[in-house]
Amino acid sequence: MKREQATKYKETILIVDDMEINQEILTEMLKEDYNLIKAYDGQEAIDLLEKHHLEIQLILLDFIMPQKDGLEVLREMKEKQWIKRIPVIMITSEDSLAFMHKVYELGGTEYIHRPFDRYVVQQRIKNTLMLYAKKRRLEEMVAEQVYERKKNSDMMMTIFSNIVEFRNGESGLHVLHIRIITEILCRYLSETTHQVNLSGKDISNIALASALHDVGKIAISEKILNKPGKLTEEEYEIMKTHSAIGADIVSRLEPYQEEPLVKFAYDICRWHHERWDGKGYPDGLKGGEIPLHAQIVAIADVYDALTSERVYKKAYSSHEAIQMIANGECGAFNPMLLDALFVLEDEILEALEKEGQGNHDRIFTATENIMQSLNIPVHTDSLQKKVAIQKGEKKP
Amino acid sequence: MNLAECYGEMGADYQGTMQRLCSEKLIERIVLKFLEDPSFGQLQEGLEMHNHQQAFQAAHTLKGISQNLGFTKLGEASAELTDSLRKALDSTAYVQFEQVKTEYTTAIRTIEKYRAGK
Repeated sequence: MKREQATKYKETILIVDDMEINQEILTEMLKEDYNLIKAYDGQEAIDLLEKHHLEIQLILLDFIMPQKDGLEVLREMKEKQWIKRIPVIMITSEDSLAFMHKVYELGGTEYIHRPFDRYVVQQRIKNTLMLYAKKRRLEEMVAEQVYERKKNSDMMMTIFSNIVEFRNGESGLHVLHIRIITEILCRYLSETTHQVNLSGKDISNIALASALHDVGKIAISEKILNKPGKLTEEEYEIMKTHSAIGADIVSRLEPYQEEPLVKFAYDICRWHHERWDGKGYPDGLKGGEIPLHAQIVAIADVYDALTSERVYKKAYSSHEAIQMIANGECGAFNPMLLDALFVLEDEILEALEKEGQGNHDRIFTATENIMQSLNIPVHTDSLQKKVAIQKGEKKP
Repeated sequence: MNLAECYGEMGADYQGTMQRLCSEKLIERIVLKFLEDPSFGQLQEGLEMHNHQQAFQAAHTLKGISQNLGFTKLGEASAELTDSLRKALDSTAYVQFEQVKTEYTTAIRTIEKYRAGK
């Protein structure tokens, strides 16, 4: 492999031809404008591609070579999906239609006939590179925009749900944690349980919708929300209305009722305080009557509440929390979910810890600023608090 | 003898080659390289040993190189041979090979003369 020195940015072309004279002619025509890599056989070309396929922008490929011929190289490139990114110009003195059809069928982009003409060779390469560069730029733009949109909608959702949480005196981390735990549980269940059949899209929608579970608390007075002591029976009844109110808020998003995200959000808001034994609220649904996604968010909610510090309680370790949930001290849950929680404990802890190192502080700060500028009281003591869960608390 | 005269003597197309490759230096370099090119030897060996595959590949390569060099007569002779070898290795091929051999020998002799006279 011989490579010419690059002074400015030059695209890299791999020339595959077993004949030295042909290599020499092509090199002479192209060396000023491109970096050139040479291979004298199809196998050598494949080996070079294994190592350098990310740097190679175009391939000039001879058809007839002693060991591995050009069509075989094309076939392997197609198999390894390199052909999608790297244009191949076949060099040929063949003009049979069958041959040309084969080249195109295998994803070859162009061909150059012998005898080589300097101008034609240079133009054909230049045009092909330009076309592919344009295609790459477009692909990058689309990917960038899709990513941007997803990032923005995630961010808006986070800010919005943080507003609810901050007012509630809870750290914005709670929403984030529920989302992570929900996603892990959903993924595990759909992979391991044949009754649960959630698509990747469902899972990401459920995880996103989980952020809205307490949106109904926006209608509960701050006096009740942030009362330091125990709630009176009357106050508790008011507090309990938040799940039905949340669902009501979501159902007012009339134009979006058919959106899966909104449907999941409705169920989650309304039924995340239902209990497996039917003693929950607001509807007293029992067992399988409660939609699974609402059950999942419910258990994630309880687990995170237990493992986080609150005004009225210290943080329990993950192990203690799971024990308490399993003993029925904090509600009644689907045994399938309890099992899953046991199995997934380490994975959940790891994911939460990793997320704690993320840049969510920025979003918290942004939310805080919005609320302050609107004179909405913020109860963000917990923002300063560290995530209670630490790796040392893992179950043995 | 200059390069153009060398081409003239073997009945090759200097002007056309110059138009395509645009560099006398390059043409000279590859013409001299042609002296060491193995494809004629491989073709001869392939035919002698009745190795159809080798004969076809070598003829095909020789055709490509001759066309690139603008060696019109050798290009035509090897193109005909390549076409018949594509179908079969039979007596036609051996007859056609004689023509290729004649053209090849002329080309090599002329290039050697050119090299000696430089």
